[in-house]
Amino acid sequence: MSSLSLRPLLLQLERQPGGLRAQIETAVALHGRPLRWAITAVEQRPHQPALLQIEAVVVCGSDSDRDPS
Amino acid sequence: MATATPLATLLVVPTGIGCAVGGYAGDALPAARLLAAASGCLITHPNVMNGAALYWSDPRIHYVEGSSLDRFAAGEVLLRPVRQQRVGLLLDAGIEPELRQRHLQVADGCRATLGLDIGPVVTTDRPLEVTLSLGASGVSWGQLGQPEALLRAGRQLKAAGATAIAVVARFPDDPGSEALAAYRQGSGVDALAGAEAVISHLLSRELGLPCAHAPALSPLPLDPDLDPRAAGEELGFTFLPCVLVSLSRAPDLVALADSTALSIEAVGAVVAPAGALGGAAVLACAERGIPVIAVDNPCLLDVSADALGLEVLPAASYSEAAGLVLALREGIAPGALRRPLPALKDLA
Repeated sequence: MSSLSLRPLLLQLERQPGGLRAQIETAVALHGRPLRWAITAVEQRPHQPALLQIEAVVVCGSDSDRDPS
Repeated sequence: MATATPLATLLVVPTGIGCAVGGYAGDALPAARLLAAASGCLITHPNVMNGAALYWSDPRIHYVEGSSLDRFAAGEVLLRPVRQQRVGLLLDAGIEPELRQRHLQVADGCRATLGLDIGPVVTTDRPLEVTLSLGASGVSWGQLGQPEALLRAGRQLKAAGATAIAVVARFPDDPGSEALAAYRQGSGVDALAGAEAVISHLLSRELGLPCAHAPALSPLPLDPDLDPRAAGEELGFTFLPCVLVSLSRAPDLVALADSTALSIEAVGAVVAPAGALGGAAVLACAERGIPVIAVDNPCLLDVSADALGLEVLPAASYSEAAGLVLALREGIAPGALRRPLPALKDLA
């Protein structure tokens, strides 16, 4: 029985000031360990921060064979 | 001809987004060769270099799996060139006996004909269960039902002395699909690419070794209208030769303490499609102030410099991008090559 799984994600993220990469990795990491992500769309909104569409795959669960050291 | 010292350059063509250049069977390889000549040192990833039965080996090109490239750009790992890797072969238990034998014969051929150090071979203890999917944007993603089985086999190879890993997973055949027909005729997305990236990312990230993937598929019927960009994948029974050749000289991924290895600090440019600037490697480079050369290379996405608020050097083609890389290498301000050339202004 596999306790490790890969999960696809689709997120909408309001852009904040500062580095984009850290914002995205923090948002994706709320759902699991980020394996692959990209901004796949950007919606510019009047008087509001841009809305980023993020598609990602995260790793969930633990790997039962992983060496604890 | 360049006389300046090499300018390490990253070339990124994201996988599975339908790029006009680089969305097919290693069809960004000519651009990579040109950029390698212009820069003297090019770091790029399997989607650029893998042409199934076709490949190109150039000591100026460093073949780095996509997630490792992201970590390199983020300053988390360094790259140490090697003379030769020992490439372990990881086969999915879901591959049928005849197709498996074809892959083993490719590995034997690369040993006998090219002198590569390949082995051992490990088969997963259960089928990996690869499935294909498209994301909301239409880009290729994919899933792996048995990630632990992949990692178990990878660890066996590492323990047995493999210093790089070539993975072959059984991918679903879908010879009658509209998506495959479109891809073969040069108008679609590579549906396999997303799942391939997931496999190699997981393995490379967990084991810290250079890894790359080749899908195992049944041969397709002849298509007389085949787009030249997809032709590399129809020359043989497997997609494995390019992976074995490129991995055989892929750089080691090493810890930051190794002062002899190539670090992101040495990188002087990153080249990426103008509509696909929202990936981890490009953003990491941009945040470090590394010049981003945004090439007009149509794809499914429209994540542009304007949309992200990035400053870039635009290029209408990879030929122009190579010229910009050469200019940066020679210390020529790219702005001096464009007209009109605005007059200097006082800071105040």
